[in-house]
Amino acid sequence: MLSVFLNKIFSLNFANLLNAIGLDFEILSSYTFIVVCLGTMILATVAGMVGTITVLKGQSLIGDAIGHSSYPGIIIAFMIGMSLDSVSLMIGAIISGTLAFIIIQFIDKNSKLNLDAVLAVILSAFFGLGMVLKSFIQGHPIYGKVPQGGLSNYIFGQAAFIRTIDVQLILAVAIPSLLILFLFYKEFKIFVFDEVYAKSIGLNSTVMYVLLVLITMSVIATGLKLVGAILISSFLIVPGITALQWSNRFSHVLIIAAIVGSLSAFVGTYISSVYAGMSTGPCIIVVMSGLAFISMFISPKGLLANWLRRRKYINDLSKSLID
Amino acid sequence: MSKNIIVKVEDLTMAYHDKPVLWDNDVNIIENSRTAIIGPNGAGKSTLLKGILGLQKTLSGTVEIMGKSVKQVHKKIAYIPQSNSVNWDFPTTALDVVLMGRYVHLGWIKRPKKKDIETARNALHKMGMQDYAKRQISQLSGGQKQRVFIARAIAQNAEIYFMDEPLAGVDKNTEKVIIDFLKDSQKEGKTSIVIHHDLNTLADYFDHLVILNKRIIAQGKMSETLTQANLDAADMGGGFKINA
Repeated sequence: MLSVFLNKIFSLNFANLLNAIGLDFEILSSYTFIVVCLGTMILATVAGMVGTITVLKGQSLIGDAIGHSSYPGIIIAFMIGMSLDSVSLMIGAIISGTLAFIIIQFIDKNSKLNLDAVLAVILSAFFGLGMVLKSFIQGHPIYGKVPQGGLSNYIFGQAAFIRTIDVQLILAVAIPSLLILFLFYKEFKIFVFDEVYAKSIGLNSTVMYVLLVLITMSVIATGLKLVGAILISSFLIVPGITALQWSNRFSHVLIIAAIVGSLSAFVGTYISSVYAGMSTGPCIIVVMSGLAFISMFISPKGLLANWLRRRKYINDLSKSLID
Repeated sequence: MSKNIIVKVEDLTMAYHDKPVLWDNDVNIIENSRTAIIGPNGAGKSTLLKGILGLQKTLSGTVEIMGKSVKQVHKKIAYIPQSNSVNWDFPTTALDVVLMGRYVHLGWIKRPKKKDIETARNALHKMGMQDYAKRQISQLSGGQKQRVFIARAIAQNAEIYFMDEPLAGVDKNTEKVIIDFLKDSQKEGKTSIVIHHDLNTLADYFDHLVILNKRIIAQGKMSETLTQANLDAADMGGGFKINA
């Protein structure tokens, strides 16, 4: 299916147009670029939209903790299956991320510790375990015989290693996730805005939580190979923060977050393809964060607009005082 | 006025962590009344409302609203929570918030229709907020926010209003709008149950009273319940004298 699509892209003659606006057609039409770009763009779109909800719910750091905590699952899945098969490693990531999430929720409910302290402990415990296991299997008489070069890619991400199967995995997560967001848009909206009222009209907030965590977890698990355990949470958080600067409407914010995510993915992937030695995941995140910073300054809710508003207010006030 | 009991609470006991907040309370709210709930800080007023609405776990007791369990009457009851329970950074407009009052009638997945938007606009108009429909919710003043939340309850078209300190931190004008609304609703046959903190306005604004301090101290008609002895029994008598 994908190859039919790729052939179509090749057959179109964009070359002159693209070269005219300064983009390298050679790179844009290479198979690797298209696969990586599709993967990162789809992932960033879903992550941006889902992440907006977690940001608004005040749970940005939970994504970060889950991201780090899924790493030991990858190593353990490798130790059990003795292969670098994307699907089994992803399942390992989901199991260990879920386990971390359950422990976080349990401690948060039953102790008086602050959530950020709990997150920090679980995050480092799980990620540390992953690192310990990884160094343990390196040079181990049994595990050492299987090639395991791909395992460190899950820490920082290595988009160049993406194959068609990974893009298909991303699609398999992205389509149902977007569908759930679209179908339960109204429910998510009221759940995030006013949970107490939502409960009072009979909305089951536990169901909403589970849905949200499920989607977040699957986005993280599929994104690990591209972006890595350390940086995956930026895919969730940064587009949402950027989008919130530009609109006062939830639906628009979600769309802007999707655009910011996919645009950054495209630009980041392109930059990393043009310049040798630049890794794709970090490039995308630099572009994303750049957009976030610019938005914080020049958007309608940004620092500049606030400063101008304040100055106008003071001017008007002093004028009226003189009159 | 009819004497039917619209909300019947029996033996309600609730706790916060391991501290008991409400002890074995029976509460009867009379249909078509404007009932105020008063009590000192920490008396469990908000907890009582949440217990009635099924928002917080109860240790024992039963609650009947219009003879049914709360899960069967979601459409008939509108809750106006304390404003600090809301996520003010959420990107939404006043009209959008009021429209949320229609969600309970729509059910899962379905989107609001033109008619729902019409209803929401009318509700905003009733609260004198029609000019602020497109305003971001966080840009409104305390009183304006409260009016938007009452408009949401109006849009919900409920029979019983549960309000948790709706007059806290609002301007005089909004206070009047809210009380007029309560009185108009009563004429339409509706019931309101309101947590209130100002003893000076109590008798003007409401006709029934529940005095609570972990246990029910007294409840009934305002004239019979608002007595110095009852206030003293609830530790609320200090400094306040009832004009006989």
